[in-house]
Amino acid sequence: MLDLILKAFAYSGGIALTAAGITLIYMATRTFNFAHASMVGWGFYIVFAGYSLLGGTPYYYVPLAALFSGSLGILIYFGVNRHLLKAGASPITLMMSTLGADLILLASINIFTDYLTEVHKLNARYFVLELKDVSLGIADSVNIRGIPFVSLAVVILTIVGLHLFLTKTKFGIAVRATIENTSLATVLGISPERVYILSWFLGGALAGLGGGLLSLTISGYPTIGMTIIVTMFAGAIVGGLSSVFGSLFGGFLVGLSEYLGITGLSLTFGGWILAYRLIIPLAAMVLTLLLYPQGLAGIKIPKFMLKGSQVKSQSKEV
Amino acid sequence: MVFEIHPLILNILVNFAIGLIITVSLNLEVGIAGISQFGRVLAVITGAIVAAAIPGRLLASLIGLPSGVEYADHLINFKIVDQINKILAVNISLAVGILFFTLILAALLGAFIGYLCSYPALRLKEAYLGITLLAFGDVVNTIAWNVDPIAGGTQGVNVPDVFRWIGVGPERYLGVILILIGFGLVVFIFVERLIRSPFGRALKAMRDSEVAATVYGKDIVRLRAQALMVGGALAAIGGALWAFYTGSFKAVTYTRLTWTFWPWAYMMLGGIGNNLGMLVGVFAFSVIRTLIYAYKTELTAFIPISPQWFEYILVGLAIIVLVLFRPQGLFPEKPALTLPKEEIEKIRQRTKKE
Repeated sequence: MLDLILKAFAYSGGIALTAAGITLIYMATRTFNFAHASMVGWGFYIVFAGYSLLGGTPYYYVPLAALFSGSLGILIYFGVNRHLLKAGASPITLMMSTLGADLILLASINIFTDYLTEVHKLNARYFVLELKDVSLGIADSVNIRGIPFVSLAVVILTIVGLHLFLTKTKFGIAVRATIENTSLATVLGISPERVYILSWFLGGALAGLGGGLLSLTISGYPTIGMTIIVTMFAGAIVGGLSSVFGSLFGGFLVGLSEYLGITGLSLTFGGWILAYRLIIPLAAMVLTLLLYPQGLAGIKIPKFMLKGSQVKSQSKEV
Repeated sequence: MVFEIHPLILNILVNFAIGLIITVSLNLEVGIAGISQFGRVLAVITGAIVAAAIPGRLLASLIGLPSGVEYADHLINFKIVDQINKILAVNISLAVGILFFTLILAALLGAFIGYLCSYPALRLKEAYLGITLLAFGDVVNTIAWNVDPIAGGTQGVNVPDVFRWIGVGPERYLGVILILIGFGLVVFIFVERLIRSPFGRALKAMRDSEVAATVYGKDIVRLRAQALMVGGALAAIGGALWAFYTGSFKAVTYTRLTWTFWPWAYMMLGGIGNNLGMLVGVFAFSVIRTLIYAYKTELTAFIPISPQWFEYILVGLAIIVLVLFRPQGLFPEKPALTLPKEEIEKIRQRTKKE
């Protein structure tokens, strides 16, 4: 039981970070980023390659994964997104463009995997890093590993860091102003370009960070991003797509309910149900969209979660 | 064998025929009706499941073989389908009857799926709707992949060969492809006629401005549901034909990449909203994809990466280049002529005189 809860927390932490990345990019540029799948996938492979080739613990390479996926984000912004934003493209066009970017990134992951397999003779097509994690001790005959705590700590640090950045720094305030009303912010001398670059970098970095941490919980393969992107989208949408903190919460909730829910169901109905774990986040997402399109952040109770609630007035097209 | 056609050309033609059906149905929903359909795979896999599960069971029960849950057991299934194929090989009318019966059933179920999709399609817009439909597609795929009794689950099932009467060797291959192209062209012409009909023009009006269409008395709820039903039915026919052509069904091959995202790329190349453009878009991509696979050894010597990834990069680049430099596609949509060209010319002459 303890083992299960710890794993669920580690998994949910990773999903929460990736969902926050999707929301950040969506809030700033109105782009549903399909390329998030491959950015998360690269997070997995940076950690795997770094650990397998250079040694140490996998944790050393998680920041590197964040940096790498962050730069991928900047690349996508300058390569595709920037021109489309300037041309005032429709949300569907923006979404399709990231799909094209995702296909190219997916191919690049596969090529990298081929390289690792052929040149370095690694089993890169399918790997499990869970056992390489540091062990903190054994309680109730459960080997307690570091990842649940690291994962939670990273989520909390992200919340605190983003909060301080968005409320205490000048640039952070400029970011919020641009998200709320781009033209008004431009009049006041804020360059929206810088905000777009930053949000693509941070969004990508959160994807890489989430992917790097998830690689210590679930097994990795080249299309891992495509498999879990539905859960990531579900987290972002349950969180309301209008507040980074909302989607961190939403991602955490979806991750937890997927991991714990399917295990609970399998205890009642038997192991066959485990194959349907994907249906839990999908159901959560579809129900949220159909019943409560504003998501969790739209619920008016927790005031501190509503940093981005004003943005909703812009995103009414739901 | 009367004459021989290079297998490469046949391969291009079969990809073209199936791709055309799927892309035309997608264009009807996206290009004409303005619904962001990101779950095309949903109707396609529904059609394929019908072809995998229904005709085989029907024939098995007719000749007294197991047709219940055990039909989908992969250890028994291939023996049953083998027996069925022997009967279909000699009984042409039965085979053709089964083919059309399955296609009609697939179309009905596809239309039903489309009707179900109209519920979210009314409440959500653009990207949100796209994500929801994409999620629906994944759910059906997960179910088909995991529930063995429907269509074999992970092992898949064999699909009765309703084209066995043509032959077994290259003749069958050629015959089936000609039939598939026939179906593709019928679907294409049907949709072309549909777009030019009052119904098609109402869809376009809805796409361009819902408010204006409502003002002129068009029922948006019904129009959307109808567009999704027609599109779903056509895509399901495409899926069923693909299952009949390959002779087997495996849920894992019906991914959102192959049956949603690639048709989107075909459609964008051809020009969203222009039915004629679909012919060009699908044909161009069919040629490119087939050639990449055919010359993979030569390609690998030239570029040291696996051709599969090369294909991904190419499709991805095509999408990005199109979106950036030619978002309207190769053949942009033109205003539809409601009268024959000569009539319009006559009217123009007349108005000039006055």
